[in-house]
Amino acid sequence: MLKAAESRRTPQSWDRDREEASGTEETEAQKTDMQIQFNDQKHEFNKRPANIGRRSLSRSISQSSTDSYSSACSGSSEDESSPRDKPQATSKGLSDFCIKNIQQAEFGRREITIAEQEMPALMILTKRAGGEKPLAGAKVMGCTHITPQTAVLMETLSRLGAQCRWAACNIFSTQNAVAAALAEGGISVFAWKGESEDDFWWCIDRCVGAESWQPNMILDDGGDLTYWIQKKYPSIFKKLKGIVEESVTGIYRLYQLSKAGRLCVPAMNVNDSVTKQKFDNLYCCKESVLDGLRRTTDVMFGGKQVVVCGYGEVGKGCCAALKALGTVVNVTEADPICALQACMDGFRVIQLGEVVRQVDMVITCTGNKNVVGREHMDRMKNGCIVCNMGHCSTEIDLVSLRTAELRWERVRPQVDHVIWPDGRRIVLLAEGRLLNLSCSTVPSFVLSITATTQALALIELYSAPEGRYKQDVYLLPKKMDEYVASLHLPTFDAHLTELTDEQGKYLGISKHGPYKPNYYR
Amino acid sequence: MSDPAVEVKLEVKQASKEVKESENVAEKYSAMTVSKNSEMNMGDLSSAFSAVPTHKPVKKQIQFVEDKQEFSRFPTKAGRRSLSRSISQSSTDSYGSAASYTDSSDDETSPRDKTQVNSKGSSDFCVKNIKQAEFGRREIEIAEQDMTALISLRKRAQSEKPLAGAKIVGCTHITAQTAVLIETLVALGAQCRWTACNIYSTQNEVAAALSETGVAVFAWKGESEDDFWWCIDRCVNNEGWQPNMILDDGGDLTHWMYKKYPNVFKKIRGIVEESVTGVHRLYQLSKAGKLCVPAMNVNDSVTKQKFDNLYCCRESILDGLKRTTDVMFGGKQVVICGYGEVGKGCCAALKALGSVVSITEIDPICALQACMDGFRVVKLNEVIRQVDVIITCTGNKNVVTRDQLDRMKNGSIVCNMGHSNTEIDVASLRTPELTWERVRSQVDHVIWPDGKRVILLAEGRLLNLSCSTVPTFVLSITATTQALALIELYNAPEGRYKQDVYLLPKKMDEYVASLHLTTFDAHLTELSDDQAKYLGLNKNGPFKPNYYRY
Repeated sequence: MLKAAESRRTPQSWDRDREEASGTEETEAQKTDMQIQFNDQKHEFNKRPANIGRRSLSRSISQSSTDSYSSACSGSSEDESSPRDKPQATSKGLSDFCIKNIQQAEFGRREITIAEQEMPALMILTKRAGGEKPLAGAKVMGCTHITPQTAVLMETLSRLGAQCRWAACNIFSTQNAVAAALAEGGISVFAWKGESEDDFWWCIDRCVGAESWQPNMILDDGGDLTYWIQKKYPSIFKKLKGIVEESVTGIYRLYQLSKAGRLCVPAMNVNDSVTKQKFDNLYCCKESVLDGLRRTTDVMFGGKQVVVCGYGEVGKGCCAALKALGTVVNVTEADPICALQACMDGFRVIQLGEVVRQVDMVITCTGNKNVVGREHMDRMKNGCIVCNMGHCSTEIDLVSLRTAELRWERVRPQVDHVIWPDGRRIVLLAEGRLLNLSCSTVPSFVLSITATTQALALIELYSAPEGRYKQDVYLLPKKMDEYVASLHLPTFDAHLTELTDEQGKYLGISKHGPYKPNYYR
Repeated sequence: MSDPAVEVKLEVKQASKEVKESENVAEKYSAMTVSKNSEMNMGDLSSAFSAVPTHKPVKKQIQFVEDKQEFSRFPTKAGRRSLSRSISQSSTDSYGSAASYTDSSDDETSPRDKTQVNSKGSSDFCVKNIKQAEFGRREIEIAEQDMTALISLRKRAQSEKPLAGAKIVGCTHITAQTAVLIETLVALGAQCRWTACNIYSTQNEVAAALSETGVAVFAWKGESEDDFWWCIDRCVNNEGWQPNMILDDGGDLTHWMYKKYPNVFKKIRGIVEESVTGVHRLYQLSKAGKLCVPAMNVNDSVTKQKFDNLYCCRESILDGLKRTTDVMFGGKQVVICGYGEVGKGCCAALKALGSVVSITEIDPICALQACMDGFRVVKLNEVIRQVDVIITCTGNKNVVTRDQLDRMKNGSIVCNMGHSNTEIDVASLRTPELTWERVRSQVDHVIWPDGKRVILLAEGRLLNLSCSTVPTFVLSITATTQALALIELYNAPEGRYKQDVYLLPKKMDEYVASLHLTTFDAHLTELSDDQAKYLGLNKNGPFKPNYYRY
């Protein structure tokens, strides 16, 4: 781990580190096909899906659920034996956990402290709860990415009175040092980087820990944990007080379960809360598109011709960021209303085919497939950068580039030159996967929004009076959304104005919110 | 300033604006300006005087917000008009239009007593002066330039005449822009009879131009209350001509038909309503089970909402401030109260000019958006001593109070972009120790005993309606939506629309948007069959679910 810490300073070892990371990237690259399939054949809750395929789908959609790639905590430990075979104990003598190496705890603690700086909302939440422990008695079982940011969430839950046991929702995303720090802090964590499929389910099962400890709340990302408990421990499942689910995939599975009438506990849909949606899409992409392009290609933006395909939330974010740096931004759109918005915001709306010969960069964010086809790429000029900020890896037609006459050359991790017979090359980033997840980082602040929402959802479900929530999937009440937002305002030293009684009456709303109707976006 | 001739011209133009806006004008100050201006230009006297008798309705307007007006009640004209206008921006006429120059006609007889004939010998109309037709035609041609959507609609649909057989009675503002709409409807095969929905907003020469081409128009600028209903009645009640469609703005025509001609009303194929007020009345009628025809709510279409709020305010805030105060924006400290659509538009425009923008908000979600967009969120009290400009757009009342105005620095500007005239507590400024000085039309200096002045714009009424213009392009969005709504209702197969109030189908919204794309030379991308299947969409739209908010 010390080596990893060093690597933050020296560029050579940084590159080596990226090389190592690209090892896992290669495996991911092969998953693309499976991923596409998943989109077509909707997977059902009852089926036990191959972990790898779905994982990558769930990640690529729910952005803030992913780990932060730049974090220095990549497992460089040389110990190759499986953590399952290794008995370990914390300094306090506890051994109810299973991680790579408990010795890394101190390093992980530092990572968590850094994350805490950018996640003040959770800190405030603890403070506001004061001596009260709204989650006293709650036994929360979690299955999320294990990163410094989720660690801050877990420790907040503990401070609010909950007992936590945790497993990873992704076989690659666990940061071993953070897991060690959590285990050292007394949270039972079962996760390490590079689990096998079998390890994955073993961890979840150990996490449930049936005999000694019965969970009464679930915090899930992707729905695997929910699936496992529903299948293996139906009696526990029935006694749950609530499920909080974060990802698109998990929500989809919950709705299916609910439709089939087999959801016997209330569930909370965190994914569709207003704040999360805005942060995952508009703001997050606005921040990360420049970073992702710069890190991979060191490109200069001023005066460059860029085409952004799609002008939804993601497209709006990308355009705003690029415009601010002086690029000439063009937009392609299929929806006339969004196209008109682009016009009014000062962007030219064109078809890709019209400008593809002149552009320096093409960024896709349509959610569609084959937006950039081989016929476009054949006509691009030398050195044109092609990347994807949208949905999975379908937007750029990669398959069409895997032909004999084209030569692929990997020039950096995540950066491929595809070379035409005439010597012309285009620069393909992250093999068409999501640029901001592959080549950039998700800001802690964005993850803070999600984590705070999750914590509030748990508190709401746990302390709601009998009967408020039936056996169904719920959206967070507007007021909670507003509360999450208000917890993040101190970061900006923002001071909210309060309504007077008279003004509240005039507007016909309560002084303390909710301030907008539900359909307001 | 140095050129007195230019100054006078400017004043005259603004004065005429004031006349149109004057339903809202509260107090003697408007009267003061009027007399001041009339000294400068006697020619404008007649139009200027029409402002005088109309100060009262302000109170009424406020009441209307609270006690919801019912459809069956017969509301006083002035009060409701101003409400409907202040909310639905694009339903108002374009204030900057030069059309008022023809008002200097000396003819003081009421148009009702005058028989006029157009060049084709028809006399089925009632306007101020048919001779102004040529002038009006020019106005209409100017408007056509920026309303290409309607022109292309004419071209696309002309061969099939989708409105053949439609007999439309309309009650809207009569301006060059609505004239383009009316002529489009005629080109699509409809017969039209038209009246004004506002007693002041009619552009006489436009009405003349329309009458000259054969549209029966009953409207002139400065109608009395009695004239107003007489015009509506003449418009509806015509031997041998039974209307089958209604295009309304404010609900007066619908109300009149419903009350006076129930038999005709029952046979109507559809109502298209544009204003907030009118839509509200339709919903009430529908709730009471008394709406026996389908109605279309144009006001709440996505495109109209976005254009009325975000874009329109983004364009007009700078214009309104510049015209009234000639202020420089760079580096100025500006506070914008409220970060909804209107607030977002104002912020974007001011930021682009280099103002230092702060926000006040009550809703933490909007506040967080403001933070992420790079604006400081403050309480007004914290910064009130330093700010140069305060702009309110909350929809709330008494957002800027006397207490705060007391602490503002000398020369700071206070104005309102939000809802009616409640946001700034103007009443609290009407005390004996403060001196009011009108320095231009729409601009008052309020002077404290110690000599400090605060510049109040438009007496707290909507800045962009009072001191700026609504771009034709925005009106084009509304007009196109209206035309499509009429076509949709007229051609819909039996049973598609029941006796209820409908929103425009998403697809129509998208079509309206697509018609406006040509202005920008924008080229839409088409989905391939494969892609459409992947997304689960029809290739031709609708592209978004109904709850999508853009």
